[in-house]
Amino acid sequence: MLENISIGRYYKADSLLHRTDPRVKTILYILYLAAIFIISTPQAIIALTAITLIQLIMGKIKPGILWTTVKPILPLAIFILLLNVLTIGQGNVLFEWRIIKITDNGIYKAVLMAVRLMFLIVSTSILLTLTTTPLKISDALEKLFSPLKVIKVPVHEMAMMMSIALRFIPTLVAETDKIMKAQVSRGADYDTGTFINRVKGYITVLIPLFVSSFKRAEELAVAMDARCYRGGEGRTKLNPLKLTLTDVLTGLFLGLCAVLLVVIDLSLR
Amino acid sequence: MADEKDMISLSDVAFSYLSDDGEGKETATKAVDGVTLTIERGSYVAVTGSNGSGKSTLAKLIDLLETPDRGKIVIWGKDSAENDNFWEIRKRCACVFQNPDNQIVGTIVEEDTAFGPENLGIPNPELRQRVDSALRETGLYDLRHREAASLSGGQKQKLAIAGALAMRPEVLILDEATAMLDPLCRDEFLELVEQMRREKNLTLITITHDMAEAARCDRIIVMNKGKVVLDGTPPEVFSSGRLGECGLKQPENFALCYQIAMICGEEILPSDLESEDKLIRRIVRMIPRMVSAYIPDTEEPEDKSSDEIIMSIKGLSHSYDGTSKAITDIDLDVRKGEVLGIAGASGCGKTTLITHLNAILKPQTGDIEIRTKDKVLHCSDKKDRAQIRRTVGLVFQYPEYQLFEETVYKDIAYGLKKLKIPENEQKSRILEAAARVGLPEDVLGKSPFELSGGQKRRVAIAGVLVMRPEILVLDEPASGLDPHGRDEMFKLISDLKESGTTIILVSHNMDEAARNCDRVCAIKDGKIIKTAPPDEFFNNTEEVSAAGLDIPVLTRFADKLKTAIAAELPGIEFGKPEFDSYKEAASIVRSVRKEVKGRA
Repeated sequence: MLENISIGRYYKADSLLHRTDPRVKTILYILYLAAIFIISTPQAIIALTAITLIQLIMGKIKPGILWTTVKPILPLAIFILLLNVLTIGQGNVLFEWRIIKITDNGIYKAVLMAVRLMFLIVSTSILLTLTTTPLKISDALEKLFSPLKVIKVPVHEMAMMMSIALRFIPTLVAETDKIMKAQVSRGADYDTGTFINRVKGYITVLIPLFVSSFKRAEELAVAMDARCYRGGEGRTKLNPLKLTLTDVLTGLFLGLCAVLLVVIDLSLR
Repeated sequence: MADEKDMISLSDVAFSYLSDDGEGKETATKAVDGVTLTIERGSYVAVTGSNGSGKSTLAKLIDLLETPDRGKIVIWGKDSAENDNFWEIRKRCACVFQNPDNQIVGTIVEEDTAFGPENLGIPNPELRQRVDSALRETGLYDLRHREAASLSGGQKQKLAIAGALAMRPEVLILDEATAMLDPLCRDEFLELVEQMRREKNLTLITITHDMAEAARCDRIIVMNKGKVVLDGTPPEVFSSGRLGECGLKQPENFALCYQIAMICGEEILPSDLESEDKLIRRIVRMIPRMVSAYIPDTEEPEDKSSDEIIMSIKGLSHSYDGTSKAITDIDLDVRKGEVLGIAGASGCGKTTLITHLNAILKPQTGDIEIRTKDKVLHCSDKKDRAQIRRTVGLVFQYPEYQLFEETVYKDIAYGLKKLKIPENEQKSRILEAAARVGLPEDVLGKSPFELSGGQKRRVAIAGVLVMRPEILVLDEPASGLDPHGRDEMFKLISDLKESGTTIILVSHNMDEAARNCDRVCAIKDGKIIKTAPPDEFFNNTEEVSAAGLDIPVLTRFADKLKTAIAAELPGIEFGKPEFDSYKEAASIVRSVRKEVKGRA
């Protein structure tokens, strides 16, 4: 029932983006995040689409794979689109019936919001989750934020927690599916009924999932203990992060693209 | 006596778990209670006992994952109580635990293997070299860039070994590491660790309640209620006659010989158990005694199953990805009142098949017909779905993970509430279901989460039985239970059969499938290989193994024994195979008696 969701899943391939240093990708991601929220002209969005296509090629990601990450977000995007179309009342009225008022400005803003959301997911997927293993992401974050250790921020621990959380996503998805099937055989129905009843129905999944997650956490802690885990102090890395010339060039290229995007957008306003 | 530097020694070690009773009052439960023992370097030791005997706690104490309340643990001459020795000891002991998923830290195979040595601060290039050699030794090298979550259960356990080996340990502790594997994976896993032990002179300590696994070791330590009850070589332990009181059983092949010896009034000595051949020679020497042995006649239980078909699966195929098929053209009739066993290795399509039986998966091709009193239900028909789910109860593997209510009573009631059954009728049906699975009434008010594993499972089964299904499908109902718990589960299943429920039992344990089912249906690679009553199914064992199926341990050994007896008494005819060690023993003795008397 849940096997098609692939948010946060790694897509194995050998590509330029896959090989790029995760620190570079993380910084690029932050840049693109900012760019996505700054740009608002259609021209800039078209340019962003073009850059995204280039990224797809650089990451050797098949459109089908990207689609599986975007698909689960579609209902939310459509919901946001409709909500904004119906609630933003400024601008020229195109259509009015009783309390419903649709304006050109409303449609424009609504579409912009939905497009931003979609690009947000797409960028996260391409720059981070699809092309970078969770361990590398947490490595990158650990390295990038390591200056914060000076002010006693537990950077290593946070990175470890994050990578474990990501590592367990597929396990928990499989477990959720199993529990749902078990409850369905006992007469549960997650597809019909009122919204409230459906939400209430999920309690039958959430409680067992919580209970087993605690058990897993406990067992994992023992297993980590047995493998001599004692925090970040003195740990070595199998694959330490190494910045190569290609990484720098990739970073510069995609970084400039993002800057260019914002410049185009600002000059067109 | 070996040097202290080559010993793990425990003296008078005790450990208690503190548990909260919910009102802030803590009670201590004794897990290990005054254990004294020594284990020599390079030995292969099984620590065994029923659930709650303290065997896992003992393993944790040796790896310093728990600190003893009392007593002294000295490993390779280093006292564990001294802080300086802590990491020294821990890095020499590696553990592999039961649940494959809950010990993988890294997302990618090689990253996970590196986790241990990374923690030890091993620098590159030694780190890389350790990881690569550990992966090569466990046969995972080609999968090193794969996502760990995408491995099969058996592969995940091998990954756990790779992770342990990369730490270059001297002691390897397997804490019920094979409990969640099927027999094939289990053998492969054990062969791998045994090979590693020989090559690296590892001290191997395996915690298990599987007696066939314990029999492979050089020494068995049996624990009961926190104390060491038996300690000796496998022949010594298996011939002691005290396994039963610890909730354990002899391996099937030994059990058969003991039954024959008992019938003949003979005794089997530990030295007879040293090898199967020796044991067989010993039994053959008993032939003269068999002739005069007394065997009470056993009544054959009345066969309650009829030829009436209650469910028929027709041409069922299913594919998850559209290309490869999980099951292909399954045709199978289920008779009313029978226990039908579905056997096969992990990944053969058993679970896919049974998930169709109550229409959770919709048939892609083919159909399933379910014949109730008044009409025929079709799984392909959406309208019939609700009624099918009431008629066919499905209990998945480890069903205790689906419990969620505050009390056992409410949890069992869940299905009834969904059916909108009136309160007073609910109550009688809940009490009935609880009684059928053997839950005492005082448990009903408790939280399901405070029960033991076996009881939780009963609650989960009651939650399905309460719907009064005509067909009950059980996926590996005994997995993870100790020998006593398994027996109780199969007793429960035969009681359910007696009360008229048709049962479909999925199992990868051929001994249990053969013993408890009226018919066995073997599946391999998504296809049915053979469906027949067990005695017919395993009558020709060569044909069965040629099809790549497992043969019950009992039958395999009995065949060997029968061949040896036939060499003494040429032309002897044996009865159909039986799957209970006593019944098979009686059948062999009867055949011998008949043959010898016939000659005279």
